Amino acid sequence: MSAALGSLSTALTELVPGTRHVRVAVTGLARAGKTALLASVAANLLAFGAGLPVLPLLAQHLARRRMKVTMAPAGAADLPRFDHAAHIAALAADPPRWPERTQSVSLLAFDLTIARQVVLGDLLPPKRIRLELLDYPGEWLLDLPLLAEDFRTWSEATLARLERGPAFARDFLAFARGLPADAPADEALAASGHRLYRAALLRLRDETRLSLLQPGRFLMPPPGPEPPWMGFFPLPGSSPLCRLLAERYDAYRDAVRRDLVQGRFAAVDRVLVLADVLAALAAGPAAFADIAAALSAASEALRYDTSLLRRIPLLDRLLPPRIGRVVFAATKADHVAARQRRNLAALMAALVRLPPEAPQPASLAVAAVRATEDFVWALDGRNVSAVRGRVLGESRMTRSYPGEVPDHSPDAAFWAHPFLDVPMFEPMRALPGGAIPELGLDALLVALLGDVL
Amino acid sequence: MSDDRPPVRVAPRIEAESFAAPRLEPEALPVPVAMPPVRSGLGPLLGGAAVLVGGLVALDLTSTVAGLFDRSPWLGWGGVAVGLAGLGLVVRGIAREVSGLASLATVDRLRAALTGTNLEAARRAARDWIGRIEEGGALDGAIAASPDVAAINALLRAGPGAVLAGRVDALGRAAAVQAFAAAAASPSAALDAALVAWRGMRLIREVATLYGVRPGAAAMLTLVRRTALSAASVAAADLATDALARAVLSNPLLRHVGGEVAGAGLAARRMILLARAAAAACSPVSEAHTPGTD
Repeated sequence: MSAALGSLSTALTELVPGTRHVRVAVTGLARAGKTALLASVAANLLAFGAGLPVLPLLAQHLARRRMKVTMAPAGAADLPRFDHAAHIAALAADPPRWPERTQSVSLLAFDLTIARQVVLGDLLPPKRIRLELLDYPGEWLLDLPLLAEDFRTWSEATLARLERGPAFARDFLAFARGLPADAPADEALAASGHRLYRAALLRLRDETRLSLLQPGRFLMPPPGPEPPWMGFFPLPGSSPLCRLLAERYDAYRDAVRRDLVQGRFAAVDRVLVLADVLAALAAGPAAFADIAAALSAASEALRYDTSLLRRIPLLDRLLPPRIGRVVFAATKADHVAARQRRNLAALMAALVRLPPEAPQPASLAVAAVRATEDFVWALDGRNVSAVRGRVLGESRMTRSYPGEVPDHSPDAAFWAHPFLDVPMFEPMRALPGGAIPELGLDALLVALLGDVL
Repeated sequence: MSDDRPPVRVAPRIEAESFAAPRLEPEALPVPVAMPPVRSGLGPLLGGAAVLVGGLVALDLTSTVAGLFDRSPWLGWGGVAVGLAGLGLVVRGIAREVSGLASLATVDRLRAALTGTNLEAARRAARDWIGRIEEGGALDGAIAASPDVAAINALLRAGPGAVLAGRVDALGRAAAVQAFAAAAASPSAALDAALVAWRGMRLIREVATLYGVRPGAAAMLTLVRRTALSAASVAAADLATDALARAVLSNPLLRHVGGEVAGAGLAARRMILLARAAAAACSPVSEAHTPGTD
């Protein structure tokens, strides 16, 4: 029944005229490779539109229909454009450079023109899609769970997590524990606590593999001057200082809610969440548990809607956008050999827990910019599937067999053995026509956009 | 018998190799399967015919002129003059064909320069192109000031490219009106197809001239082939599927319902698409440009 409705909906959608807008929020946990992925999507989609035989699964999905791809004009939009040309040039340069961490929200937009997939579709005007990829900071995504938590709950959970974690938050914890139970609502106390808490968050982000760091806007502030309500920190209790911090926390949540309903995230109807699962495996059980918690928290906080109303063409354009499709991708999959990449995708699927109303997620393993090649390495008298590539800045090849990737959440037996942190390899040389070598990007695009192409 | 021993775990490791190695190259993109070369008899056949006709004509002409000189010197010189005039016209025709083919090669050269990464080469190509078309205008200063290849492409698209695109559409509309009228009024399907084909060829030549390409007969054949290829990248201009559409519209029931005017409408629409496809084949500036990385 549902499949039949889906087919009918697809057929009707094919007949709806006009340009369809599809906005995808591309977000990721720290160091997941979001910028490299967006650059690779831009390079490979443009090469695909120019007729190069890249992204074979996408070509297969289009069933011999040609897709024209152009960069969409920026118009009078208020969002800055993702500088795809500079990032592609950096990856293709000799010596190459990996993109720098992005410090703001940006938009990568394409105009897609495709023949319609109905009988006599070639006699109809082509289907036009404005595909917008919103480079949404992963830090901000982790603000969404705060909407469902009051200040006391959040404070207790955060302090408990910090006490279990690395020692970078020692100064802040000492300060918070040292405050009297009836601490006054003193601005100097609030400012000191906020400064210590923020410094701890920054060190945890930059020096450990921890991802579940809230509030996200402390790590990546929005542009413009910082409002006073940003000056809070987790503190359980019922002192006047706690009440002041709770007021600020609520104001912060209101700002997050406004951005979610009216702001940049408002028009998003599908989400791509990236995570560097291999790095979390290498960082140990605490970091891995943290990344799993961050993924769960983020995915549970999104507003999903897969109701039948959404499947009615035209009507779906009148309803406020809700997340109808979500894809989770484990990045840097070329750091392990092909056999282990299947395990990596399965592990990603095991980490994702969505609420019942959410759409069935796709979990994939991708390498947006390929940097290694597979090879068989004879180790300890056995042949193992490994990878090799040049480490950035070096002239020799480096062989890597970091360990076995589990296909389910790792248990105590897994943590008894080491899993190595893979060095930063340099990107492969670009393909003729500007395409960037990748693994699994075509499957990712089909999973994300297959219903509208 | 099962082996109860625990599997031997290989210790993970990361090791640098001893020797320097070049940067990793990606696997080559899949290319269409190369067909074995077909040894066609047409080439030798046409070549032989050309040698025979040309050689025999030359021998006959020489013999005739020699005979004329035997009769009288002034008759001989008259024969030489007639022979040279005829040969001159043939050579001129051949030169025009070569020039037409060369102008298509120029489009390729300019296109390569305008999609590459060499800024100076792109500037030279841009100046070369605007020198060949009437709509070039005074863009020299703007081209010199353009900071990169993408900017030069954008400049050409926005300036002469836009003007030419407007004229191409006008040519396509004019041809469409004529094709519609001819197809709707023609008494037979065969005549209808012939009229549309003739108008289509004329349209391609008009568009090519607009873009500074002056094709002869041989260059026209190449241009028609390129137009068919570029039609695939012009939105919705899939000539292969148009054949299917024509077949469907030739269904007797649809003919009865829509009459011949349905086919005429299709022919008219195809003229506009053909004009755009021909423009894409003749223009060195692509519709959208991405800086190359090679």
